[in-house]
Amino acid sequence: MRLLIVDDSNMIRTRISRVVQSGGIKGVVLAGLARNGAEALRIARAVRPDVVTMDLTMPEMDGIECIAALLKFDPSISILVVSALSDKSTAIKALKLGARGFVAKPFTDEELQIALLDVADGR
Amino acid sequence: MARLNDTDLKLFIDSIRNYLKVTTRQEPQITSAFLGTGQIEGFEFNGLVTFSGSHNGNIIVSMPDKLVREILLLQHETDLGDSNLLDAVGEIANTLAGNARKALGAELQISVPVKTQGSDAIQTRVRKHPYVITLRWNHYEAMVCVDMDRAD
Repeated sequence: MRLLIVDDSNMIRTRISRVVQSGGIKGVVLAGLARNGAEALRIARAVRPDVVTMDLTMPEMDGIECIAALLKFDPSISILVVSALSDKSTAIKALKLGARGFVAKPFTDEELQIALLDVADGR
Repeated sequence: MARLNDTDLKLFIDSIRNYLKVTTRQEPQITSAFLGTGQIEGFEFNGLVTFSGSHNGNIIVSMPDKLVREILLLQHETDLGDSNLLDAVGEIANTLAGNARKALGAELQISVPVKTQGSDAIQTRVRKHPYVITLRWNHYEAMVCVDMDRAD
């Protein structure tokens, strides 16, 4: 399965990449990195990801708008929200839009692995 | 506009404590929490997030280069240049601000982080009396400055 990581923080993009590339998530390979929602859409059209990790607070296009746009482009994409906006209403909003899971920042590698596996397995 | 109360402030103290505990497995020591009344000198790397909606103001995470580098090294990051250090403090500020919504409500809007280099960043960005939280993590000092009011 191809993974696209979407986050405006290089630290987070690198961290999620490392967790995936260290073999922590079987069957998932890194396909692309995006710094905001607009970039994510451009990359998604090129690499056709199966799974996307999505930050919510980003410049240019935020995560909520991007989730809607990505799922309109390809409803089969599994989206895991990875965000500091850990209030219940934000999580519900993302899930109602079609995200399959939510990990609140700060997160441990183990929490990320479990959430990614859940979202990837749910396909 | 109403100032923050003790409970509001405690959530930011708990939040920076939790952030470092989860990401580095080392909890910081909170060395003081006070209402700043004079010139506040921060550290070289600063991440600022602006609040709007239910509250107005900002939060600034201010850290020295050595502390930020250690945080990155513990996350197996190899790029320890200034740009990446700025990215890291911005992300920490973003996390603290985002986590605040859980307690302060979803009407709290947060900006994308602004990152600045230079110890005068706090002085130039805060109003008269921000709340200052000082901490020590792995022998390094750092600061979180909370300058916000409830919007009535």
